[in-house]
Parts: sequence; C-alpha cells; structure tokens
Amino acid sequence: MTTMAEPVVRAHARSRRWLEELVSPGGLFVSAVMILALFPVTSIIRDPDFWWHLRAGQLIVDNGALLGTDPFTYTVSSHAWTMHEWLSEVFFAVVQRAGGLGPIVLVLSVVTWIGIVCILFRAAMRAPNRFVLGFGMLLAVIAGYPIWGPRAQMITFCFSALTLLLVERHLVRGGRAIWLLVPLFLVWSNLHSGFIIGLGFIAVVVVAEVVGGRLGMPDSASAARVRTLIPVLIVSAVASMVNPNGPGILLYAFQTQTSAAQQALILEWHSPDFHDWNVLPFGIMLVSLVALITANRHLRARDAALVLVTAALALQSVRHIALFVAAATPVWINQADLLLLRRRGRAAVQRRPAAMPPLRLRVLTFAALAVTLLAAFVAGRLAPAMRTQPGALVYAQEFPVCATRWLATVHRPLNIFNQYGEGGFLSYQLSSKGDKVFVFGDAALMGDALLYRYAAVEAVQPSWESIIRGAGTDIVLFDTGTPLANLLAQSTRWKNVYHDPLSVAFAPVDKLAGLQLPPPPTSYPAGDPCSQLKVTASVNGGAQNQ
Amino acid sequence: MNAVRILPTKELERERRAARRARFTWIAGAALLTLALTVQPFRDTDVWWHLALGQLITTHGIPAQEPFSFLAAAHPWVGQQWLYEVLLAGLVGAGGAALASAVMGAVAVVALVTAALAVPRAARVGGLWLAVGIVLSGLVMAQVVGVRGQVISLAGVAAVLFVITRWREGRTGFVWLLPGLFLVWANMHAGFVVGLAILAVALPLARPLAPATTLARKPLAAALGVSLLATLVNPAGVGLYGYVAETFMNPTITQVVTEWMSPDFHNVWVQLFEAEVILLVVLWVIGGGPDRFDAVLAVVALAATLQAQRNVSLFALIAVPQIALYGSRAWRMRIAPHLRGRRIANTPRAASLLAVAAITAVAAGVATTVVPRLTPSASAAFESSRYPKAAADFVSVHFAHDRLYTADSWGGYLAFRFPQGRVVFLYDETAIFGSAALQRYLDVHLLRSDWTSVLSSEGVQHAIVGDNSQEASAFHEIGWTIDCHDAISGSLVMSAPSVPPSKVSAPLAVPTTAATAC
Repeated sequence: MTTMAEPVVRAHARSRRWLEELVSPGGLFVSAVMILALFPVTSIIRDPDFWWHLRAGQLIVDNGALLGTDPFTYTVSSHAWTMHEWLSEVFFAVVQRAGGLGPIVLVLSVVTWIGIVCILFRAAMRAPNRFVLGFGMLLAVIAGYPIWGPRAQMITFCFSALTLLLVERHLVRGGRAIWLLVPLFLVWSNLHSGFIIGLGFIAVVVVAEVVGGRLGMPDSASAARVRTLIPVLIVSAVASMVNPNGPGILLYAFQTQTSAAQQALILEWHSPDFHDWNVLPFGIMLVSLVALITANRHLRARDAALVLVTAALALQSVRHIALFVAAATPVWINQADLLLLRRRGRAAVQRRPAAMPPLRLRVLTFAALAVTLLAAFVAGRLAPAMRTQPGALVYAQEFPVCATRWLATVHRPLNIFNQYGEGGFLSYQLSSKGDKVFVFGDAALMGDALLYRYAAVEAVQPSWESIIRGAGTDIVLFDTGTPLANLLAQSTRWKNVYHDPLSVAFAPVDKLAGLQLPPPPTSYPAGDPCSQLKVTASVNGGAQNQ
Repeated sequence: MNAVRILPTKELERERRAARRARFTWIAGAALLTLALTVQPFRDTDVWWHLALGQLITTHGIPAQEPFSFLAAAHPWVGQQWLYEVLLAGLVGAGGAALASAVMGAVAVVALVTAALAVPRAARVGGLWLAVGIVLSGLVMAQVVGVRGQVISLAGVAAVLFVITRWREGRTGFVWLLPGLFLVWANMHAGFVVGLAILAVALPLARPLAPATTLARKPLAAALGVSLLATLVNPAGVGLYGYVAETFMNPTITQVVTEWMSPDFHNVWVQLFEAEVILLVVLWVIGGGPDRFDAVLAVVALAATLQAQRNVSLFALIAVPQIALYGSRAWRMRIAPHLRGRRIANTPRAASLLAVAAITAVAAGVATTVVPRLTPSASAAFESSRYPKAAADFVSVHFAHDRLYTADSWGGYLAFRFPQGRVVFLYDETAIFGSAALQRYLDVHLLRSDWTSVLSSEGVQHAIVGDNSQEASAFHEIGWTIDCHDAISGSLVMSAPSVPPSKVSAPLAVPTTAATAC
C-alpha cells in the first residue's frame, strides 16, 4: 500500500540526487562547459546571407505575401523564387522592426545553445562519466566553432539535435513523445530547408536498426519501437509539405546538394581545409572517434550509421560540421566512456567519492560560479553583440557599409556588379532605392549558369568584361586587392569612382556621364566608422549560403 | 557434425602447391590489373624539371645553385633527388618517355605487391584478399602515381613495412636490409623520412607476431641508427634535413601547391579514398580489432592525408596489407561459418584454374590498354595537349634567351625546354625558391596590387599563359599583344609593347582571330 507522502518523498529524493549530481565536481565541470558554450555561439551577424533574408522578410511583411520572383538582381529577376525560409525571414523582419538586430542575435544564439543542450541530454542518457561528458561537450563546441553564429542554419542544427534526442529517447524509453516530431517538422520546413536532414536522420536510424539487428550488432533497440518510427517519419514528411511551396520543398532541399556550381564555387560547400586552425578540432574529433571505435569495437548500429553519414557530409562541405557535431558527439562521449571503463575497470570508476563539503556550500559555490560566468557572458559577449547596429565599425570592416553610404547618394537606380558575399548587404541597404545587384547568396535562385558567369568574372577570365557589360552593369563594386579590382585599376576603359579600405568602385568610361555619380567623400566626421575603417584582407570573396 | 577430410601426404602436398599457385596467380593478376592504372604519361608537371635536371647532372654534375630560373632562390640547391633525376634522364634517353612511364608504373605496382606481402605469414591470408587490397589501393592512389619521385618513396615505405613484419615474425636478419634501402632512398626522394618515422613508431609499439616470443628490439634500433647515418651519405649531407623541414613546414607551400592542400571530397577519386578508410575501419571492427601498430600507422596516415592530399597514396599503401589481413579475418569470423555446407567446388585446384583463366583475360585487357599509351606518337600527343609545346617552339625561334613569365605548373616544362640562360620564372621546387620568390610569383599570378611592378622589375617581356587565364586578361589590359595562339594546349604567347599604349580600346577576345597559330 502506498501513502500520499511516498511520491512526494520520492520526488524530493530525486531532486536531491539531481542537485548532488549538479554540484559534484563532474557536474560543476559539465555546467561550466555548457555556460562557456554560450560564448562561441554568440557574436555579431557575420553571415553575409542574413541581410537579404532580412530584406526579403521586410518585403513579405510589407506586401502581405511571398515574393514570386527575385526582387534584388538585374540578372535573374525573372527566376521564380522558392522562399524556403519565409517564416525565418518574416520573424527577422518583425523582430528587427520592433527592437533592432539585438533580439535576433539573442534568439539565434539561444537556439544554437539549445541545440548543444540537446546533444548533452542525448549523451547523458547513457550515464557516462561526468568528466568525459564535459570534455566531449567541450570538444564538440570547439569543433563546431567555424559554423557557430547567428544564422538561420542554426535552426537546422538545433532541430537536428532535438530530433536525434527525441528518437534516442523513444528507442530507449518508448512513450508518445516521439510524435512531437510532427509539429516540429511542420514548423521546421517553413523556417529552413535543412529539415530534410532531420527526415534523413530518422530514416538512417530505422534502416541502421533493422540491418544492425540482423547482423547482431550490440544494444539494438526493440523492433516495436523501431517500427513506430516509420509512421512518425511518414507523417512528419507529410507535415513538412504544409508550407507555401507544397511538396516542392522536398525537391528544393535536394537541389543545393546536387548543384555542381554551388559545390564548386561557394566556400561553405567546400571540403574542410585542415590547415585552418578553426577546422583542426573537427579533424581531431573525427580521427579520435575512429581510434575510439577501433579500440572499443562496441558500437550500436544507429551510432555507426549516423557517424558515417554525418562524417561523409562534413568532409564534403565545411557547413555540415555542425551536423557531425550534433550526431557524433554523444557517440564520441560514449566511446570515450567505454574506453575509460575498460582501462580503469568499472569498480574504480564507481568508487566512493572522496568526502566533500556540505551540500549547501557546494550549491553556493555552484551558484557563484554560474552567476560569474553568466555575467561575464552577458557583459562581455551578448550585450556588445546585441548593441551593434549595421552601420557600426565592426560591420564596416566586413561589409561595404561606407560604399553603400556613398551609393545611396546617387540619384538614379544602379545595376551593381558585386562580390557574391556582399550582394545581400547591398540589397538590404539599397534595394529600396531601386538599385539591383548582379548576384546574391540564394545560389539556388541564381542558378548554376549565373554562378559560373560570376565565377568567370571573379577569376578575371577573358570573358569578364563581356559578361559585366552584357548584363547591363552600371558600376562594379568589389573588395580592394582582388584580381578584378587590380585589373580594373589598370584598364583604360574603366574609371575608379570610389575607394575605401574595404571596397573600390569602377564605372565604364563610356557610361560615366550618364550615371551622374557624386564625388567620393574626402573626409568623415570624427568618430564616424568610415573614418576609422582599416581592412587588411578581402573578406567576402566567397560566401556562406543558408 | 562437420566431416573431417583426412588426405594422404602426397595429395596434401599437391593441394598446398595448388594453393600457393592460386595465391601467386591472384597477386599476379592484381598486379597486372593495377599496371593499367599506374603506367601513365608525364601527367605530373614536375617531371619535366626533374628530367632537365637529370640531363644537367649527367653532363655537368649536381648544380650548386638553382639552375633554370632568373628569380633569386632563397636556398642553395640541395640536389636531394639527384639519383632519381639521373635515372629518369637515363630512362628517357634510352627509351623515351614510354620507357620512363613503364618503369615508374612497374615500381608503383612493385610497391603495392611488396606491401601486400607484408601480411604476417601465420595469418594465411588468401590470394583473393591480397588481390582485393592491391587493386583497391591501386585505384585509390591512381591519381597521385605515374612518373614522379613519390613513387620511389611508396616503394621504400612498402619495403619498410615488409621488413617490419618479418622482424615481428622473429626473422631479425631482415632489418639489415634497411641501411642499404635508406642509402638509396635518401638520394632519390625526401619521403625517406616517412620510412624512418614508421621504424621509430614500430620500435616501441610493435608486438611479436609469433605467440610466446619476444621481439628483438635492439637489432631494429641498431639498424634504424645505421639507416639514419646512411641517409647522411648524400650530396647535401645533414643539410638534407633542413630541405625536408622547409618542404614540410613552409606555410606558403602548403597554401599554394594543390597537392599539399586538404583533399576535396567532391572529387570521385577522393571519395574512393574515403570508401577505403570506411572499409578498413569496418574490417578492423568486425575482424576482431586491429593490431596496435597497424591502427597507429593507419590513423596517422589518415590524419596526414586530411592535411595534404598527396598522402592519399601513403594511406592506400599502408592499407594494402591491413585490408587483406583484416578482410580475411572478418570473412573467417563472420561470413565463412554461415557458408559451411554450401561450398561449391572451392578447392585450391579449382581456384587455381579460375585464377589462371582470370589472369589471362586481365593480361590481355591490360596489354590493350597500356601498350597504345606507350607509343612515341601517344607521348607526343599528350605533351602537346597538356603542355604549351607549340608555344614553346614559337618562343625558341623568336624570343630565345628572353625572360618568360608562366604559371608555376608550366614552369617545369619550360625549364626542360629552355635549360640554358635562366629564362624561366618559377617552377614547383618551392622549398629551394623559398617564400619570398613564391610571393613574387603570386603577386603576378593573383594580380596583386604590385603585379605590374614585379613584371617590370624582373625585366619580363614575354609570357606563355593559359588562353583563359587571369594573366592573359591582365596582360592585355597593360598593352601586351598576342604573338601566337597554341589552341591544342590552350596557351598564348604574349609580349610587352615597346611603348605602353595610352588606351586599350577593347577587352581580350579569345579565341582570337587576329593571332596566328603557334
């Protein structure tokens, strides 16, 4: 017979155990890592594509409808636009109008961090050593560093991690929470086209569990729970079609993966460069995971499949490192934990902990640590990132802020041949004036033909001028020090009409009179970002793509 | 209950001989098949300056300074590959490019077969698994072999793996092959340091392959020490190691030279490497786990390949014996038990006959593939299409002894065509040129802000450039004219104007109708 007090006592005991766990040395380490993870995921907006997403959102809100064709370029303005991120764009526009860029930075940083928390929960389900857990999470946060930052792709990272957490929870514990995936995909397919990855993850897990069960691989999930995933997958796929683009959204998601031009020309789709210190932690995580799996020789089928798929994706394109981190981190932690158990023996690992200070003192210590780290985060990272506005010096060092100020003074609309990674910023700043760009970061909308034409100009192939003039360009705005800028500086058919430390502009001599360009500013007021601008290298040669 | 077949001694011996024949036939078939991949024309752009240098050394000895370029090289000439270069010049002199292609292709195959024979004898790995290892790794390394010094290093690494396995089996005498190997290797290619590194890893990590024995580590340590000393017997002496360090550590080289960059996993050949890595890890896991030394070797080679794609061949070579060994083990542990009672004429004799039939077909196929590549006309056609042969012919008639600009990938060819008078800008012996010269080249190649001043300060009046290159567009903008167009290789000969024009009225048009053919 149970009394009313027993559940209360059990709940109290659970809370106390949880608290003990949290303020244990291992718990403190994990907590510190998770708070420190807030630092790299929070920054100013460095994603060049953010700006055209924001402008597109503003146009959707103003028009009350999605945009049918491309409004930003003078090259592919007839191309039909599949607005696969319309909900994110509307969200950006509404929030920006209400409170500037700050809240967007905050929300996207928190979304990324929630994704990392989902990874932690998935890893913690197998109750690993807390120091291994903390170290694995630290490695994951460092490995994902090249990708972190406020950008729509982080929605896919977060939802991927959440999908994997729900699937794992279902396979281990069962229950009906797995059906939460259906509304998740309904929202996800309207926020970002990466939802296809989530569907892919579920399919990979199902196939791996079926095959792994037949091969006798260890720790297979129950067949009934695996079977439940099939209707969940089907209903989620159907739910993802509930968006303005209908079932076509599924095909669109594959387009970017299969576009040869995008894979070849866009930096973010390139394979990781392991000479880059930012990418090296990913390499260390990958190679050490191979070593751990080999040493343990104990791997669940779904873990093996997820690691294989996401490692292959990450080796193909640096942007997929985030997916590798989402899928492989719990496997890394589990494998490291297994190795530790083998080396030290379970008894040694589970030996009685040394005497510790009273719980209250440890809770106070924990609270002090957490508050200090959070305060440092808010004051040192979050608040500065949220305060920074598009005209600020840090943005002026990455985007053509000063050049757009000058272009905004030109009375007539211009067709601007631009750097790929700056098309979004130029559209955000100048499209309301009627200016159009040659290319911007929605590569699928641009199409492979335009991307190849752009690449020919950027590489200064002999056809460069016929491409620029043939498109109807009024002015070329490019980063200083690039081959095109240095070539134009030598050409007698082009005239330098503007320059600052980041950007330089040239106009065709034969069109110059008609353009009525104002003279470039000779000086700026003291304290103006354009007076302090100092850029040493080209920053937007390639671009990231949502 | 499984029936046990007891064979008379004679029949047993016959079956053993048949099994050995089958093993040999599988290996020979795989080697022949791989030959079709490794016999290649002069695809590597460096082969030309190595050849030019070999010819120079044959007549004048090893030069003290870089001999072909008008740029100031940062370091004295090391002559590290002098023996390979002399060998290359000798082969080309004796039998043309075809002989060099055939010999270097054969060296690559020998490397693969030697690596395959580095499996422990006691493991009794069947010929089929050895053949799988050879052919798969041959495919993976196909893009980075051919006529190039790196192939010598592959053979060296394979020999080191072979010696280590024999040593681990208790046959210690094999280690004394190493000093001679390193003496030759250190004079042929800088990759000998990889061999030394493998030995240094084996010394503490390797375990004996024969049960209940201990490894005689002292002889290997002694052989390693003597080998280290043997590497100093080369024209540069201990300076050789400075050259090697410059090659491996110079950040400009690793950023500029394609094969020192990380692999591009969109490339189908790199995807083959990826597949081989996955296969090896799977075989390790299901084959009972790898030996510690094998695992360390493969993981380090994997990490090295992620850093520099040229190391894909090193990984592939190291993978040959491991795929054979762990594949064979995995088969015996996981698949063979399920096939008991379903054997279909799987006797060594039947296998032997099958293998002989297969090898005959493979030999015929390889002969029809490889032989046409080795004719003089095929070599000449390849040279004309890949290198600016006609453009260089034009230059030799009209601008002999004048300084030439060209992209680094063609610099080696021009060094071969114009070995006298230092008319070449830069070629890919980057460790000798050093960062300063490389940066001057990049100033022009990447059209950096001072590109025109580099051309004028170096007194460059002519160029052989790609007809679709940025240099062609840029030179045109400063008034250079096209002397001729080599449409086969896609190159232009361009010259600076005697008086810079005040205006260039139109952009460069390619294909150009005005320019004559070279």
